[in-house]
Amino acid sequence: MTSRRAWRQARVVLVKEFVDSCRDRRALASVLLTVLIGPVITGFMMNRIADRQRAAEEVRIPIVGAQNAPALVEWLRQQSGVEIAPAPGDPEQAVKDQDEYVVAIIPPDFAERFRASKPATIKLVADSARQDTFPQVDRVRRLFAQYNAQIGSLRLVGRGVSPAVATPVLVQEVEVSTTQQRAARLLAVIPLMILLAAFTGSMQIATDATAGERERGSLEALLINPVPRSALAVGKTLAAALTAMLAVAVTAGICAALLRFIPLQEMGMRFRFGMPHFAGMMAAVLPLCLVTSALQSCIASLARSFKEAQSYMGILILAPMLVGVLGTIYPIDNQPWMFGVPMLGQYVLLTNVLGGRAPGPLAFVAAAATCVVAAALLVRVTVSLFRSERIIFGR
Amino acid sequence: MIEVAGLEKRFGSVTAVNGVSFAAGDGRVTGLLGPNGAGKTTTLRMLYGVMRPNAGTISVDGIDASTKPLAAQARVGVLPDVYGLYPRLSAREHIRYFGELQGLSKATLAERTEELFELLDMKHIADRRAAGYSHGERTKVALARALVHQPQNVLLDEPTNGLDVMSTRAVREIIRKLRAEGRCVLFSSHVMQEVSALCDTIVVVAGGRVVANGTPDELRTQGGHENLEDAFVALAGTATGGARR
Repeated sequence: MTSRRAWRQARVVLVKEFVDSCRDRRALASVLLTVLIGPVITGFMMNRIADRQRAAEEVRIPIVGAQNAPALVEWLRQQSGVEIAPAPGDPEQAVKDQDEYVVAIIPPDFAERFRASKPATIKLVADSARQDTFPQVDRVRRLFAQYNAQIGSLRLVGRGVSPAVATPVLVQEVEVSTTQQRAARLLAVIPLMILLAAFTGSMQIATDATAGERERGSLEALLINPVPRSALAVGKTLAAALTAMLAVAVTAGICAALLRFIPLQEMGMRFRFGMPHFAGMMAAVLPLCLVTSALQSCIASLARSFKEAQSYMGILILAPMLVGVLGTIYPIDNQPWMFGVPMLGQYVLLTNVLGGRAPGPLAFVAAAATCVVAAALLVRVTVSLFRSERIIFGR
Repeated sequence: MIEVAGLEKRFGSVTAVNGVSFAAGDGRVTGLLGPNGAGKTTTLRMLYGVMRPNAGTISVDGIDASTKPLAAQARVGVLPDVYGLYPRLSAREHIRYFGELQGLSKATLAERTEELFELLDMKHIADRRAAGYSHGERTKVALARALVHQPQNVLLDEPTNGLDVMSTRAVREIIRKLRAEGRCVLFSSHVMQEVSALCDTIVVVAGGRVVANGTPDELRTQGGHENLEDAFVALAGTATGGARR
């Protein structure tokens, strides 16, 4: 691959492989499906979570014996998103039947005990086994606790005591992670989906241009041309890399679009996703596409048939999944050496970019450089395979 | 002009080609004749550079194929045993792909493509995808692809195998035309009529060796039979018995 002629020939091979595989409708559809399905499912799930969060802000409280504590009921009514409902006949049965998720019971002696500054009981009927209405029940609990604290403070003030006396210890939580980081942890699936796209995107060409070419018998005809084997290997690998890059860009684009639709604000996340984030993600992952395509082309060339090559691809795809799973089990901290490991480096870069804390350009350059070196080594192996008669004629 | 000397090719313990030597001159049609498994395809594969011989030399127009394989390949056009067309590409795209790999300029390529469409009467399939081609149509595309860079030497591996009468005639026409242009045509076949109808020189191979080499008339005398087919059976038969272990 030293002469300009060889590079020109590699480009001819690249264009042919790209055009050829774009015409393979079925393969194209399967790539699109695998690229689209992840982001769409994630977006759907995020929207559900947001809906639930929104629902928790609007609670409906049926009250038995509302006349026993008119002031409390009036206070509740004034809180935003609270609806006071008429009491059901049998509160416990209503909750059991899931007609209501919570019923408050104010006993007749409430007013009397309240006036006497004795703890006045309120019963909350709820089913803690129900996961789906947990946010609503929790909100109702917090409403009563809030009322409790307010009245308690007023009483102390009325007796000339500072309410601070009743608070011997004040627990203050200091959250270290920025809101963006917390959001990124929740959105940890996005880096995984983008890594997966770098694998699935190149799979089709990598197998079709090597194992497929041989199985069709077109490899021999191709090798008759005065083209160095290196130009063939480079052209085919780059064609695969190009589709991987496209798949990555499409996946990142869809994720970006979804993030705009998902009401992250309502989930308590201040999460922005703009062009700098998109650019950062591209800079992090595009070099990886060279490695995935080179690795796949190399392994597919070794395979004895197209089917065998495809089954190897299925095993290869476990690699990014492993990184993603390990990344969620052991939260990855930024160690400099990680940028030198293809895939792990990209995963770390992606999470950092999404978390709003993009590392310096040196990390990007280091990660990209190792990818280029790894890809070059793999292509060398593929070239040597293309020189072997045993591989070409499938003996 | 192709010159081969002492060519050998082994696959493990099997010797497929065992010291083949011959020359195929310019402006002549040379036939490589032999029964199935005689080593014809292996010999041709070494000539067009996809297999390396274990011993022996190949020279194409005076270029040593082992030291300058790409230069030698550039002077050869090949119709291989298996065409290996791409089902999703059209005839035009097949010709363009190989033409570009040969390094033809855009203008030359466009001109050559039209010439070949005319020569092989394949205008009607020019922009159709190869998936639906008949066997004859596939042969035409493979031939056009082989001739796009106007090679001085043309190698054809059993070119008329499985073709109907019309297509066979067309292929023969092209072989005669190439000879008239002063090119070196070398084709392999196991069909006697074909070889006797077309060839100026016949190289009979059997069991990986050249058992006879000469004009059809010379072969008749060598084989001791008036009929070329009988001569061939006599020549090939003795060699096969000796070479097969």
